[in-house]
Amino acid sequence: MALTNVHIDFIIKDLHSRGVVLEDFQDEVIDHVCSVVEKEMDLGKNFIDAYQGVLKLFGHTAGLRQTQQQTLLQQNQNSKIMLKNYLTIGLRNLRKQGFYSIINIVGLAVGVAACLVIGLFILDELSFDKYNVKAGHIYRINNEIKFGGNHMKMTYSSAPFAHTLKQDYPEIESTVRFRSNGSYLVKPAEGTENIKEQNVIWTDSTFFKIFSVNVLEGNPATALKEPASVAISKSTAEKYFPGKSALGQSLILDNKYNAKVTAVYENIPTASHFHFDILISMVGDWPTAKEAQSTVYLSNNFQTYLLLKEGTNAKAFESKLPGFLEKYVGPQIAQALGGDFTMEKFRASGNKYEMTLTPLLDIHLHSDLKGEFEPNGNITYVYLFGLVGAFILAIACINFMNLSTARSSNRAKEVGVRKVMGSLRSHLVRQFLTESTLITIFAFTVAVGIAYLMLPFFNDLSLKKLSIPFLEPSFYVTMLIAALAVGVLAGVYPSFFLSAFRPANVLKGNVSLGMKSGLIRSALVVFQFVISIFLIIGAITVNRQLNFIQNKKLGFHKDQVIIIQDAYALRPKIQSFKEEALKISAIESGSISGFLPVEGSGSWRSDNTYWKEGNQPTAENLVSLQQWTVDNDYVKTFGMNIKTGRGFSNEFPSDSTAVVLNEAAVLQFELGNDPIGKKITTFDGNIPDGSPDPKKLKAWTVIGVVENFHFSSLKENITGLGLFLNKSDGCVSFRFNAKNAQEIIVSLEKIWKELAPGQPFQYSFLDEDFGRMYASEQRLGKIFASFAGLAIVIACLGLFALTAFTAEQRTKEIGIRKVMGASVSSIVVLLSKEFGKLIIIAFVVAAPVAWFAVDWWLKGYTYKTEIGVSVYLLAGVSAFAIAWLTMGYQSVKAAISNPVNSLRSE
Amino acid sequence: MTHSAELLKGTLQTIVLKVLKDHGKTYGYEITQRVKELSEGSILLTEGALYPTLHKLEAEGLLKTEKVMMGKRVRRYYLLTSDGKAEARERVTEFVEFIKTMSSVLQVQMN
Repeated sequence: MALTNVHIDFIIKDLHSRGVVLEDFQDEVIDHVCSVVEKEMDLGKNFIDAYQGVLKLFGHTAGLRQTQQQTLLQQNQNSKIMLKNYLTIGLRNLRKQGFYSIINIVGLAVGVAACLVIGLFILDELSFDKYNVKAGHIYRINNEIKFGGNHMKMTYSSAPFAHTLKQDYPEIESTVRFRSNGSYLVKPAEGTENIKEQNVIWTDSTFFKIFSVNVLEGNPATALKEPASVAISKSTAEKYFPGKSALGQSLILDNKYNAKVTAVYENIPTASHFHFDILISMVGDWPTAKEAQSTVYLSNNFQTYLLLKEGTNAKAFESKLPGFLEKYVGPQIAQALGGDFTMEKFRASGNKYEMTLTPLLDIHLHSDLKGEFEPNGNITYVYLFGLVGAFILAIACINFMNLSTARSSNRAKEVGVRKVMGSLRSHLVRQFLTESTLITIFAFTVAVGIAYLMLPFFNDLSLKKLSIPFLEPSFYVTMLIAALAVGVLAGVYPSFFLSAFRPANVLKGNVSLGMKSGLIRSALVVFQFVISIFLIIGAITVNRQLNFIQNKKLGFHKDQVIIIQDAYALRPKIQSFKEEALKISAIESGSISGFLPVEGSGSWRSDNTYWKEGNQPTAENLVSLQQWTVDNDYVKTFGMNIKTGRGFSNEFPSDSTAVVLNEAAVLQFELGNDPIGKKITTFDGNIPDGSPDPKKLKAWTVIGVVENFHFSSLKENITGLGLFLNKSDGCVSFRFNAKNAQEIIVSLEKIWKELAPGQPFQYSFLDEDFGRMYASEQRLGKIFASFAGLAIVIACLGLFALTAFTAEQRTKEIGIRKVMGASVSSIVVLLSKEFGKLIIIAFVVAAPVAWFAVDWWLKGYTYKTEIGVSVYLLAGVSAFAIAWLTMGYQSVKAAISNPVNSLRSE
Repeated sequence: MTHSAELLKGTLQTIVLKVLKDHGKTYGYEITQRVKELSEGSILLTEGALYPTLHKLEAEGLLKTEKVMMGKRVRRYYLLTSDGKAEARERVTEFVEFIKTMSSVLQVQMN
């Protein structure tokens, strides 16, 4: 029989009173109980007995409740619902605390973006030369020679090294040599216009066997084996032979070498320590090819790379190299220097001749020797940037932690109520971690956007071609893992801090609120500013040193000198070009010489050994001298100073056997106070095997001494140098006196076009070439400065929010103080004092650390600027000023607010 | 003879799923009655175990519910989702395999 409404109402009421309240469960139990009761009553029982029977089935009140709880547990175990709940509350909290959320997200996003850019930079630096399949077995030979007052660490070795090494040591599978002759003027055989090519190199046919450069056309095995053949990169092929196959075509190099293209290869990847566009075969009878077949061990002009057989221990192999020097190089030196030379004696007198190996993968970051193909990276900078990136991320995370704990007072009540309602500590921890992870995921998304926008600027600054790898899944995985890790790391402290509140205390209102429990927070703020001040000092130091170098007294005047490159293209009209140019009124003087007092950009270098006339050419007496051939007007054009004697002049025909030394050379030759008229001697011929002939000598008379001038990087000391009067047509330099250099360029180009039609007119300014020598440092300085700035901005962002928060906390206090007669300024001081103290502590900590770092960095320079106390003070004061401005705004805002508003409402 | 609760524990979900599969829309009390009928009274589902199990299966997305108003009472009918149907089939197969294994482990002949 069906139950009456009275029965059903009774059941509903009774179950309710027994604690059955869960929404769906309640309905179910009622229905279930009713069904059973109905059935029992059909069997003849009365209502009450039947109902009692059903209750027994459920286990009475205790059983009902237990079942209800288990049902609830099963429902809630659905993690989706839990997560959704956390997310909803998290989002609501973010929205409610809009100001702090934005500061958190923006601060973190900027920090992460900076980190991302730095990360891409570091990855790129570390990936150099990895495209080579055999990278792990490729080594470059270096030579270190300390001799005759010169100390050279170089990538150069002599021509026969490769061949002899391969012959003597079975560990070597293959060798390849490179010989650079600087830039070439290039045109296709049927073309008329020359184009200047920088990346031209002479090399052996084994190039393609050792380096993993793909050959697109032609046979890599035979490509460079023929005389007068070249292999060119794809981009070069497209430049000279657009729309047709370059294979079998001819290129004309420097107007004299006609070379056949025997291979076209894929452009060499950006992440490589060389980027050759044209490879010239070293087979045949062109001068460089002949030089490559020489057997003289004393002329180091080749870069030699070895491919070792798999399983070879490179260290063990390296230890055999001194024996090699002893066997082949020793005898040739002995012959040149006369009888009693041995390598042992040579070393005993403080000299050095050492061969070492550099693994291919170490070249980009660990090698900075004479004769690198391109300026390399530097592992120190990789570490430095990594550190800066970590610092910035740390600052951003600290902001997040500080704001979360500071805001704890606002959430203390929430935590209390949640705990009273039965929330476990683990629930709260999860809730807060969800919130912090939400913020970091937002921030990371924004960060990728910021990094995308920032990358072009960074690429300009660092001369890289970095891009965000949007197509690689690993990028997203990494970002997600990083976001979660940062979210958890940054959220873990606040979440444990907040969830540890005792509900009784919190709800009574006497929890340690806001600023009072701020010891850790203060420490973190101090840490942020230590980093900021350190970075400011670093940035100022780097930039000061660079300025110092740029403005140091160099011994020549670098301003207002224009250099016309590749003057040999004018042959034989160089002299007339100079004379024509001198007719331009703004040009004061001109000089034809390939030797310039800056490195790189086509400037030549050449050295040779000399000794003071009368001495024997033994190891102790030899001086390694820079031997520069110049013309009469060289000293005048570059604004050098003649200390004693005179410069070269037309009036003295005997100047063809004269030399002008610099002060360093006079000291090295021990020529005393009056060097004028004294003589220096050198070898002037070779015996048939190629080593110098001790019988053929030539003497040069010193006619003047030129003041020391810097001709290489200021990282190095000035070494001995001699100027010789001879033809040297690498460049023509002009000193001009005009505000507008453009007119001079136009006039010079006009003359050039008349005298050398079809040849490219290339020019540069001496001061710019000089600046280029420090380009990598300048880039470092700029990048460093921008990241230091960024670090400070992020730190201040955090400070800004913290002060805003303090002011908010103390609104009532400030109101009461004002009512009691406090002035605006006293309140501003009150609010600023707290953080002001922290910044002073930060300065005290940062200054000594920075001092050590600065000292260490400057050690690399021979000529360095003074970093005085002023720099430290400047950094400290500026950090303080920036921080104070940040706080000041909030403090003043709080101080001038009307106390009525803050005290009226409750 | 009624079977011990201990033995039933692991099979409860399978039983519920199979009943729902064979009978379609069913409500809680009806399930207990069906099981009682099928087992000829030797399996009695306790209410304390049934409802948490139903809610668990619902939370896992194997069941869905329909509410029907019956005067003052509300009846919640359970039915299988498509996931639930597949799961029911799988559980039954699994259990048959289990019985086979048990019979060889315990060295008894099944008729």
